[in-house]
Amino acid sequence: MNVFRPPDNVGIHVKTGFCCFLVMAGLLSGIATVRSDTGDENAVENDVDLFADVEDFESYEEFESIVVGSEIPGAALSPIRARSSVTRDDMDIRRPGSAPDAVRYEPGVFVQQTAHSQGSAYLRGVTGQQTLLLFDGIRLNNSTYRQGPNQYFFTLDSATIDRIEVMRGGGSTRFGSDAMGGVLLVRPLEPVWNPVVEGRPFAWDPEMTLSMATADRSYGGRMASQLTLLDSVAVYGGVGYRDVDQLRSGGPIRGVQTEEAPLVPRFAPDGRTQLGTGFDEWTADFVLRYRKTRTREWKLALYTYRQMDAPRTDQCPAAHAPFDHCLMYDEQFRNLVYVAHEGEYRNPLFRGLRTTLSFQQQHERRSLHRPGAYVRDTGIDDVYTLGVTVTGYTPRIELGSQFAYQFEYGVDTYADRLRSDAWTTFTDIGYTVERSRGQYLNQSSYLYGGAFTEATMNWTRWITGRVGGRFSWIGADAPGDPESGTSPVHRRWFPGVWNIGMELAPQRPVSLILNVDRSFRAPNLDDLTSRQQTGPGFQFENAKLDAERSMTVEAGLRTSGVIRAELWGFLSFIEDAIVRSPHDVQDCPPGTPQCQTSWNRFQLVNADSRSQIRGVEGVLQTLLPWGFDARSTITWTFGEDGDGHPISRIPPLNGTMELLWRHSIGLSSGAALRWAGPQTRLALADVADERIPTGGTPGFAVLDIRLGYRATSDLRATLILENLLGTAYRYHGSSVNGAGRGIRFVVDIGPVWRR
Amino acid sequence: MGLAACREEAPAGEGNIGDELDTSGSIERNRCPLETAALTADIEECSPNPTDYLPETPGADTWPACISDDNQYHRIEDNVSSIARVEAYDAIGALLWNNPMVPTISDFLEARILLDSSEGLGSRVDRRYDVFFEPPSAGASCGDEGIPAQYPDYCVGPSLLRPWINEAFSQALSGEGLLQNAARIHAALQWFMMISVLKEATTCAVTPRDCDSAWAYYAGGTQRDTPIGLGAEIRNMSRQVHDRVVDGLLALRCWRDLDSANTAMNLDLQRLATSQIENALYPGMMLLIRQRFVALARCGDETEAEAILEELRVLVPLWDSRIRIWSDESAETLLAQVGGELAEIDPIAVLDALDSVMSCP
Repeated sequence: MNVFRPPDNVGIHVKTGFCCFLVMAGLLSGIATVRSDTGDENAVENDVDLFADVEDFESYEEFESIVVGSEIPGAALSPIRARSSVTRDDMDIRRPGSAPDAVRYEPGVFVQQTAHSQGSAYLRGVTGQQTLLLFDGIRLNNSTYRQGPNQYFFTLDSATIDRIEVMRGGGSTRFGSDAMGGVLLVRPLEPVWNPVVEGRPFAWDPEMTLSMATADRSYGGRMASQLTLLDSVAVYGGVGYRDVDQLRSGGPIRGVQTEEAPLVPRFAPDGRTQLGTGFDEWTADFVLRYRKTRTREWKLALYTYRQMDAPRTDQCPAAHAPFDHCLMYDEQFRNLVYVAHEGEYRNPLFRGLRTTLSFQQQHERRSLHRPGAYVRDTGIDDVYTLGVTVTGYTPRIELGSQFAYQFEYGVDTYADRLRSDAWTTFTDIGYTVERSRGQYLNQSSYLYGGAFTEATMNWTRWITGRVGGRFSWIGADAPGDPESGTSPVHRRWFPGVWNIGMELAPQRPVSLILNVDRSFRAPNLDDLTSRQQTGPGFQFENAKLDAERSMTVEAGLRTSGVIRAELWGFLSFIEDAIVRSPHDVQDCPPGTPQCQTSWNRFQLVNADSRSQIRGVEGVLQTLLPWGFDARSTITWTFGEDGDGHPISRIPPLNGTMELLWRHSIGLSSGAALRWAGPQTRLALADVADERIPTGGTPGFAVLDIRLGYRATSDLRATLILENLLGTAYRYHGSSVNGAGRGIRFVVDIGPVWRR
Repeated sequence: MGLAACREEAPAGEGNIGDELDTSGSIERNRCPLETAALTADIEECSPNPTDYLPETPGADTWPACISDDNQYHRIEDNVSSIARVEAYDAIGALLWNNPMVPTISDFLEARILLDSSEGLGSRVDRRYDVFFEPPSAGASCGDEGIPAQYPDYCVGPSLLRPWINEAFSQALSGEGLLQNAARIHAALQWFMMISVLKEATTCAVTPRDCDSAWAYYAGGTQRDTPIGLGAEIRNMSRQVHDRVVDGLLALRCWRDLDSANTAMNLDLQRLATSQIENALYPGMMLLIRQRFVALARCGDETEAEAILEELRVLVPLWDSRIRIWSDESAETLLAQVGGELAEIDPIAVLDALDSVMSCP
């Protein structure tokens, strides 16, 4: 709940935004959001004031209550984009096991899992370094995000998240490098200015959540507390822990047509429990908000996530390897601390301003255990990131009664510093051999940032337009390592990107949105310097890579009313796409025997020809009689490189259906269906990837039943019957099959109202 | 090597125990002579089977025209990862068994690093099975827990070879029996190479690139006249046997050229090719053993002789099941001979036993 008011162009949508929130929430976010927050939607819609401003509200709380939840401070998503959101309320109904799980029901999102303890969201057919993760407006992407899926979204504790905004399509103008396929903006839970205790000097609200699931025999909990002092200090903090055992699935899947079971994961003798799964995690968070006035505040936030003993499922064991060979993430930590200042000013250049100063550490320690050979290969990578962002907006300028415009702008810069070591230990003799280099090069550094401005224009009630541009600066520096034949890297890029879009009839029952976006991704240190074993084979560095750029054209249709729907079509061209190119043994760098002995070896290169990804995304939501809501999504994506070959791991046709019934006495129940068609269009790298069954990944349909009871405002219980039919299924490209039939049970004790 | 030695958890150079371990100096070896004269005369009078593929003599066989007719092995895939493992085998050999000096502890350490690099030679030892034996029941593999112990002959890599290799390295790195342990490692890896050729030739029916691996495991991805690895060892002993093995590998490639579907259909032709490889490789390996027994009898250096005996103590039990196809008596004789002390070995009895089961390549 931030006081930072969204820019007036969004403010134009304040009541519009309210309406927009209703529409968006109705269309895109959880069912529950609409029911709980909107009330009479038509009444609200009729109340829209296109040029509403903060002064139009009777109190700041009124303004805040409307605006809050619709925008991320300092990282506001334009409503003229393909976007959706997952609210805390949605998460409390769905009870996701992780942050990636929380976005499974969003259109255009397909969550792949290389391990039980990992999850990577595909947005419009791309993931990892081609999508951007933001936490409270601060970049999580750093210079070691690798090609393909990664585990970092999982390192956000879903219990600390208030909302996840998903923007599909390029977002580099606002957010910089990496935002080619889309952006995931995570907004954390924060201490609220508790209206219950308004006027009293002190309030304390403890809360506790306990959870368990049978499929992975997990149990955990979280204790948190809010403290409010004198209406000027609010503190919220918590600690969580979860112990997760091996995941029982519905059984092995089989390749399309070939009927061959993939070699990963390996199963326990029961044929369902997957080896290479399970992990422990604990989290802690602390947020302090301080305000002297209601329009300016400081925030200090600390988050830590610690995951231990998390095997990488496809390497624990790898295909063909002995059962006890295992690549284990012994430690996967993320620490984030930041200070933010947000305020409103009566200044012609900045009406609102948000400044952040952040420091983040991403720590990873992994070990490949080969007990039969008494060998353990260990690697440690630490990334330290210092970041500064300043975002602001001007007052809205009105030209006559029909036209108004407003600028948003910002500057951001992040600096990474890396530590990377690797060594091999012969455990029988206690002897350790240090490698001359780790996965990355020690003491590498990466500087990335840019400045942007974006203007939003309103012409009558019928047209909203948007145009923006960014100039970026990126520098990569890494020392060479002659022993392993690694060249030093000193590269600079200064790309410029832009976007333009418009919405026709934004306040009408049917509106049309058109966008063109130019985004980019500069090669990062992973591309330029890393050597690593990936799913399809060994990958080695290419210090000569250039930035990849995308051009996306998208069109969307939105309807509001009893039946709310969105339908989007998009076409993205990627130039100089950074792709894996197969290489011969003789191309392997020196001092890297695993390159020569791997079945396949790749180097990242800029593709000669233009790749393209196109697709359609739809969402349909309707309010039904007798307390029922229904929501359905569908996504189709097609990708091919310039030669007409499939792009790796493009998700199959997929979708979701949810039905929810809620009663005023606190009971709720619902059913959720996730489905995907088979994916048989495989890239060369997919064919070599043991995670993908020979012939392709089969389709699936998985049914969950949800039951909930809210006994009082301080007690709520949720029971989810997972995978009721015991379906054996796998999200395309994953190493791990989905959970088999089981129960997930969660109890919340405490001020449930805050959710 | 691009490596520096140090203690676990302190990879930034807190110590260098390699120096502490590296105590031995440079002691020149007094090798026992491994003579080609140790071969039996009969081998040289052998002639190919009528069903054999003979690319060196155009028109001399009954095989249809195929890609191997130019007497060259043409890879199915450009990249053959097994070649690097054979190169590692030779590199380990240069440090241990082919080292003109007595290998040092540092040599063993370096050899172990080569062996156990990620996806390296050791990783394949850990998963190697011997297609000579019956496999476990459907669905089970040597990578599954408990299977190697249940099927030690079939899962020879994880159940026998790897423990022997580990033990040899462990002893050597403690400074014990450097020559003997080098010989044990050599024998275990030599056996690995042989059964790998046969395993890959078998699985090539469903994975075409495995034919390349069969070829690579024999001679490191080289053509007939420039072998490395096991191929070089056999060729140095008998050009004739080596040529027959290469003919068999070319037959394998010929079959896969004629039967190029992903899953092979003409399994009769595959059987002819694999039999041709087997019929050449077995005598080749037997000759290596025979050569060592002869060397043992003529060796003037007890330490070197002990090393050869250690090599035989690995190889002969591994051969046992195959030898018993021809003669239980010979098998018993050989086991008894290598099970005794060096001084108790009866060269005449050994050679009789070996020659009685020797077949034409």
